Formats: sequence, C-alpha cells, structure tokens
Amino acid sequence: MDYLLNAIATVFTFEALLVLFLGTLAGMIIGMLPGLSSTMGVALCIPITFNMPPELSLILLGAVYVSSVYGGSVTAILLRTPGTDASIATSLDGFPLTSSGRGAEALGIATIGSLFGGLFSTLALLAIAPLLSKVALAFGPQEYTLLALGGLITVIGVVSDIPVKGLIAAIAGLMLATIGLDNFTGAQRFLFDRPELIDGMPLLPVLIGLFSVSQAFNLCVPVAGRVLDENTKLRFSGHFPYFHDIKRCLRTMNRSSVIGTIVGILPGAGTSIAAFISYNEARRKSKNPENFGKGELEGVAASEAANNAVTGGTLIPTLTLGIPGNAVTAVFVGGLTIHGLIPGPQLFTDFADITYTLIMSLFLANILFAVLGLILSRHLVHVTRIPGALLGPMILIFSIIGTYALRNEMFDVWLAALFGVIGYFMERWRFPTAPLVIAMVLGPILEVNFRRSMQISDWDLTVFFTRPISLALVCMIVAAIAYPVWRHLKHKRALNQVNPVN
Amino acid sequence: MFKKTLLCAAVTVVASAVSLSSAVAAEYPTKPIKMVVAFGAGGSTDTMARIFAKYAEKYIGKRIIVINKTGAGGELGWTFLSRAKPDGYTIGLINSPGVEIYPFTRAETIQYNLEDIRPLVNVVTDPGVLAVSADSPYKTLNDFVAHIKANPGKVTVSHEGVGGDDHLAALTFGKKANVDMNFVAFNGNAEATAALLGGHIDAFEGNMSEAAAQIKSGAVRALAVWAPERVSAIPDVQTGREQGMDIISAASRGIAVPAGVPDDIYQKLMETAKKVVSDEGFRAELAKLNMPVNPMYGKDYEQFMQTTHDTLKSIWDVEPWIVK
Repeated sequence: MDYLLNAIATVFTFEALLVLFLGTLAGMIIGMLPGLSSTMGVALCIPITFNMPPELSLILLGAVYVSSVYGGSVTAILLRTPGTDASIATSLDGFPLTSSGRGAEALGIATIGSLFGGLFSTLALLAIAPLLSKVALAFGPQEYTLLALGGLITVIGVVSDIPVKGLIAAIAGLMLATIGLDNFTGAQRFLFDRPELIDGMPLLPVLIGLFSVSQAFNLCVPVAGRVLDENTKLRFSGHFPYFHDIKRCLRTMNRSSVIGTIVGILPGAGTSIAAFISYNEARRKSKNPENFGKGELEGVAASEAANNAVTGGTLIPTLTLGIPGNAVTAVFVGGLTIHGLIPGPQLFTDFADITYTLIMSLFLANILFAVLGLILSRHLVHVTRIPGALLGPMILIFSIIGTYALRNEMFDVWLAALFGVIGYFMERWRFPTAPLVIAMVLGPILEVNFRRSMQISDWDLTVFFTRPISLALVCMIVAAIAYPVWRHLKHKRALNQVNPVN
Repeated sequence: MFKKTLLCAAVTVVASAVSLSSAVAAEYPTKPIKMVVAFGAGGSTDTMARIFAKYAEKYIGKRIIVINKTGAGGELGWTFLSRAKPDGYTIGLINSPGVEIYPFTRAETIQYNLEDIRPLVNVVTDPGVLAVSADSPYKTLNDFVAHIKANPGKVTVSHEGVGGDDHLAALTFGKKANVDMNFVAFNGNAEATAALLGGHIDAFEGNMSEAAAQIKSGAVRALAVWAPERVSAIPDVQTGREQGMDIISAASRGIAVPAGVPDDIYQKLMETAKKVVSDEGFRAELAKLNMPVNPMYGKDYEQFMQTTHDTLKSIWDVEPWIVK
C-alpha cells in the first residue's frame, strides 16, 4: 500500500505529468501515422530516456505505448488505413461508419472502448499480475499452434460474405509467411537472392501497401463508382455516441477486455488475434450480426477494447517474469535494463516504487488519451473532408516515409508500392485484404509451434488432445467451424419450409 | 565568359577538396558520427551501443548518432557498414560469431566481405549458459549428461536459431559429451525462457546476460557457463571446464569501421575507444546489465575474429549445420 501511495505522489509531480502529457500526445500521433508502429514509437523514445531518471523514463515509455495503440484506431476508422495489424479489425466497421457520416460516433466509441480495455488490463496488472503470469507459462507449443489456427479461422469467418475469397487471401498470406530463413534448419526459403527477405516478408510494408497505399490510390484514381466524389464523399457528423449505444456496448467491451488481457499475457501471440477473436465474439453474441462489417458500433468497441487490453496484458509477463509479451515490451525491457532494472519478480520488491509508478502512470495515460481523443475527434473528423486528390498523396507520402523508417531500407518502400497495387486490385475484385495480413502474422506462429510440438512429442499428434488447455482450444475450434455450418443449414431448411417450391 | 566561370568554379572545387582532405585527419571529427547497429533499438546490442556512444561523445567531442539498420540477423547492418564511406564518420557494431560465419554459411547471397570491415575494439563477451528450470532434478552438468545418455534423442534443448552461437554451443556440447539431444529452435530468449519455465522443454541454451536475471532470481538453474573462467555476474555457476567439459562459446560485441579509414582517424577512434572501455562509469553500467567487458583492441581483435572464422569454417566444411 505504501508503494502505491508513493507511486501516486511520484506521478502527480509537475515533471511526471508533463512527461505523461507529452508521451501521450506523441504516442497518439505515432499511432495515427501509417507505418509508425507502437514498437517504433517506444524504440524512438529509448534514447531520450537515457538521461532521464528511471521513473520518468518508464512513464514516458508507458504513455507512448498505450496511446499509440489507441492512436491507430483514428486512421483505421476515418481513412481505413490501420497503422498496424492491431487496428485492422477496427476498420472493418469503423470505416463504413465514417462513410455513412458517423465518423465522430465511431471515434467516440473507439475512445471509450480503448479506455475501458486499457483500464481493465492495467487493473489486472496491478491486482493479479503474478497469478496471471502463470497463464503465460501454461501455454506451450501445442496451445500456440491451436491459438493461431483458431485466430486464422476466425479472421476468415469474419469476412464471411465471400468465404472462399477470404480463404484464398489467407492462403496467399500463409504462403508469404513461408519466405525467409527457417530457424529450425537454417534453410533459406524463397529469398529470390534478396537478403532483405532473410527475416521473412516484412509485415508492415505489406500492411501499409494493402491498406494505406491502396486507399491512397482509391482516393486519387477516379474509377466510375469507386472514387469518393461529391455524392459519396465522407460526410461530417458532430455527435458523440449516444449513452444507450455506449451502454449497449458495455458487455462487449467487458468480454473483449478479458480476451485482450489474456492474449496479451501470452508472449508472441499478437494483438490482432485478440482484436479479431473479440470482434467475432461480439458478432456471435449480437442480436443483429448482419450489421457487422457494415458499420456496427459494437464491432469498433470490441476491437478497440481488445487491442488496448493487450497493452496491460503484455506487461504482466514482462514485469513479473522478465519475459516480454510482444515486440513493444521487448523494447520496454531494453528501456528498463538501461536503468539497471532487470525485469523479474524483484521489480515488485526491490524496485517496487518505480514499478508501481509505471502502473499508476498507465492509468493516467489511458484517461489522458481518452480525454484528448474525445476533444480531438470533433476536429479529426474534418480530415475526411479533404478532397481525395489531396488526401491520397498525403497518405502516400506518410506511407513512404513510414515504410522507409522501419529499417532504413528502400526495398521495403518498393514492397509497399507493389502491395499497394495488389491491394487496389484485390479490393476491386472483392478479395478481403485482412485475412492476408493476419495470415502473415499467424503463419509463422502456426508453423514454428506446430513443428516445435511435433519435434518435442516425436510426431505424436495426440498431444493436442491430452493437455487440458489444448483440448479446450480444439473444442472451441471445432465449434467455431461447426456453428456457422449448422446455422446455415438450419436457415436453409427454414427457407425451404416457407417456400417449398425452392 | 561562361567557360571561364566554369573553370574558376572547377579550380575552386578542386582546391577546396584538396585542402579539405588534409584538414580531415587533423581536425577529425568536425561533424557528428553515425554509429550503425545491426539490431533493433532496446535489444542488448543496441543498449550496449548507446551506452558506448554516450561515453565516446564525452571523449571525442562530437555527437554520436546511433542508427538501427536491422535485418537478416545483422547482415543488412554489416553490409551497410562495409559499404559506408571510409571517412571515420560511419562506425558500427559487429557481433561475433555472426559477422564471421555469414560469408560462408550464406555464401550464395552474402553482400559484404569480411575484409571490408576493420575491427576496432571488442567490448563485451557474453558467454553461453546451459540451464534447466529450478524444479528440474538435475543439479550438475554430469547429472544432466547421464540423463541424456539414458534417454537418447528425447531430451529437448532450446536454442535461438540454427547457426547462432547458442546453437553452435549446443552442438559442441552434444559432440563433446557424446550424447544425442532434441534441439528445438525458438525465436529469441523470451519465448525460450517461457517454454523452459512452463516445463515445455527440458533445458535452455542461451547467452548469460539474457539469462542472468532468471538465474539470480532462482527461477532457472544454470548447469554450466561456457567460459574459460567463472563469470562475476553469476559467480556460483561452474564453468564447463571445471566439470570436465571444455567448451568455450560466447557472443561478442565490438566496434568496427569500414576498411580504408585513414590511419590517423583510426588511431583517434582507437584512443577514444580505449578511454571509454577503461572508464569506470561505463564499466559500471555494463555490469548492471550483466554484460562482461572483455576488451580486445585492433590487431588482437582482428586475430580473435580470424580464429573464430577459421574454427567455425573448419567445422562447417566437414559437417555443415545447415542442410542445403
């Protein structure tokens, strides 16, 4: 308790609040710009923290982390240009809402969802971190294999108006995921003599290409019925979500926060799994699932609550076990060690003052980005009023800068351009792009963990059924596949009864 | 008239270029120096680089800007370093044994020559450790060897990618102990540690600096450290040599410049490097990070890299660890 009071006292000093404010603002901007990921935002701050006291450094890193995840929702909703895979699910309903003139509402519910998820997971971090960190260890290669498989099926299902095309896109993503050095054998797979591909097909250039660059083309290239001209222009709407809408989304936000926190705890599981599983659950539990994908506030709330809940979740194994939950927290660990704070149990004993200061500042950062977001969203919506001929090139420029900045490599920029063209045609031919990107994220998780489980068990496939968590995941996957099929058949029978001629 | 102006301009350019080149060595550095790190910000190589840069700035009097040029396990960053203008304004971090082995393990695609990189100073030598989780029944290296012998091919040991120093250490261990293990690749220390603590694998092979926190907290038990003598960060852990298993394996990190840097500039950088490495504050910061400082300068460092290259190349030639 003493620690908490001390931490509160540290956070509420002028210096700390200033750092918190600047970090939150910087994080939001980083999140909004295509190509600047949370990982990069936190990494960019590491040199700045060098000459700062450890408490302030952590406040800065924490604020940038949580607010950059939130910031990603803004462009995903307004322009359909998610900056990272974390906010792809947000754009599924966010952009249709914007297109129908309800951009401000979508931003509002995204802000409230993010706040909810962020606070929920920070509370989990504060209250039951050591307990939850056991979850991270309970997941072995078998469980990761099934989690990735489940995530993949979910994503294909989410874009289910044309499941075959979703499946094709996912398979293309899985194929792209096989590029690169095979860590098990050292074999170089499909490199085409490009050393840039040794680490695998880089995700962000593909993502930026498929979403941001292709959207820039959409805005610039007038094709009959596709350009956002006078008639279909993004309209401006000033009102925030109604209270009853927020109330309606509470259950979804609650469920998504739990999913996000748990997925966050699992090292290497990926934020996008959490967002898509939550989105799918929200749709499954909804009274009108057919609205999802066409502009349903609950879809935005589900995705955003989940991806912000991941932030607190990832910090749980990072701080309690010294095992970073994702790439951002791995950079975080670097930031901690620079100050001689070695992540692990002693963070909560020997360095408890600093650790609790970080946790307290996360609460504040979440509240601060929500306040800033609610104030700014009124104005941010105006972005959609910029003519496409101007907005398109702007998105393009940010995409190029962002892609180059990833690792100072022109190759990545060409890659983004190539996938921009691919994305443009995928959209024209109605192939969903989300399954491709998510398959690229999940492909390696699926592959290496399947191989690991097989290697450890000496090719005994029963290991997937003899472990409790693994068995539960198998059942969930079977249900996830069987349920839509069953519903479809039932629906068909009902139709036949109504209209026996068919 | 135009021609005359052009000629004038040309003369001025040539003249200034000549005066510039003679001034370069005497006044070096006149502008900030770029330091290329082949791994991401916040990683252990990057952290060391930034601490080095902080102290080097103090001695050299100019800003040192760390640039992360990541990809291909360091290859892209080293390619960049090897091709940089050799004027002393681009220096970089190199990691052994990666930098020495890629030219032969990736012979078909490699884009740099080892000769194009001139080593300056080795800073850190981070030895490998073999560890089991705290609740494992094996207390010593020999207990563990006996267990592997009793269960050939069944005992799972993690490493962080084929051809990395921990994989090579695990291979050498298998050969010296004459045992057959089941090696499982993980993407980095975090995943491997989680798998060890969760009981999904039997043992873990990785670098000391990354495992030290878990060893100190008692979560994992190190059976051996692959160093010539005990390491101060984990003084209770016996070396392989003490237990009759003479294996030396480590990841080393040092500073290098593009080959062709003028000698006086190289000397100036060397002086700076020596001051940094012997700086008490610098050593204290690295000690906090469990990174053992092991300075090797100029020729010694070159010799060390050559030996590393030759040893691993001879193993590779007989028994390549990557099946093509």
